[in-house]
Amino acid sequence: MTLDGWFYAGLVVGVLSTAICVGAALLKKGPNDITLLSVAAVELFMVVYLVSAIVRLSTGEHLAGADWEFWSYLITAAVIPIGGFYWAILERSFWSNYVLAAVGLTVIVMMARMQQIWYGGPGTPTG
Amino acid sequence: MKESTAMNAPTPHTTSPTPAAGKPSDGKSSGPGRLLITVYAIFAIAATSRAGYQIATKFSEAPVAYVLSAVAAVVYIAATISLARRGAFWYKAAVLCVSVELLGVLVIGTLSLLDSVAFPDATVWSVYGKGYLFIPVVLPVLGLIWLYRNRPSVTAARKLQRGA
Repeated sequence: MTLDGWFYAGLVVGVLSTAICVGAALLKKGPNDITLLSVAAVELFMVVYLVSAIVRLSTGEHLAGADWEFWSYLITAAVIPIGGFYWAILERSFWSNYVLAAVGLTVIVMMARMQQIWYGGPGTPTG
Repeated sequence: MKESTAMNAPTPHTTSPTPAAGKPSDGKSSGPGRLLITVYAIFAIAATSRAGYQIATKFSEAPVAYVLSAVAAVVYIAATISLARRGAFWYKAAVLCVSVELLGVLVIGTLSLLDSVAFPDATVWSVYGKGYLFIPVVLPVLGLIWLYRNRPSVTAARKLQRGA
């Protein structure tokens, strides 16, 4: 499985965000500026990745896997931090920081899947 | 308050946008329940996209498996909604959905081991959710435990204790 710099950048941002949110939850703190900003960083990363994917795919690079599978992953991954944010701030208990922690992990898994679709790999249907 | 964001499972209907923290009127969508609902929402999205993709592009390859994939997606969506909503009806609905989910992951998981030809491509429930870190088989068990601990009689007693 090929992994590029985008994946590792996402991995760092996602792991940091998840670690910060789990840490805050363990300290029994509810969502605060730090945990919410860490999720905002994940969202920012996804937006940058989205823009870069549009640029790269319109300037000659192409996907090994199916187009719309890639885009559905990408758009979903870009929406997840927003959904997690709202779901977490509706109840400001420390459990909501675990909700925020799930955002980073989920985005990492989805980034890994997007790498498979981009470069080809096990389980990638071509077309 | 928007209800349609992908991760933002239907929010409990409260009159104010920010319910008083720590004083939920229904136990199952509060505290750990919020994390549980989050995981259910993620699986609802994952299963729906996967089923949609399989049925749209290669339905004839393994129709049975892909229909079951769609069933799994519907079960996750229904479970997410019923866990997030308040009231006696939604409690029963949640118990039903999560039980069906447990049954589904056990039956499909076993079938996928016995007949790998009919299940060439992993559905969410294949091999008890192996492709998803076995979360699909753990999730309904946690769900049922959570629902039992927040059964209506307990919630009512808790409310009484609080003097509500």
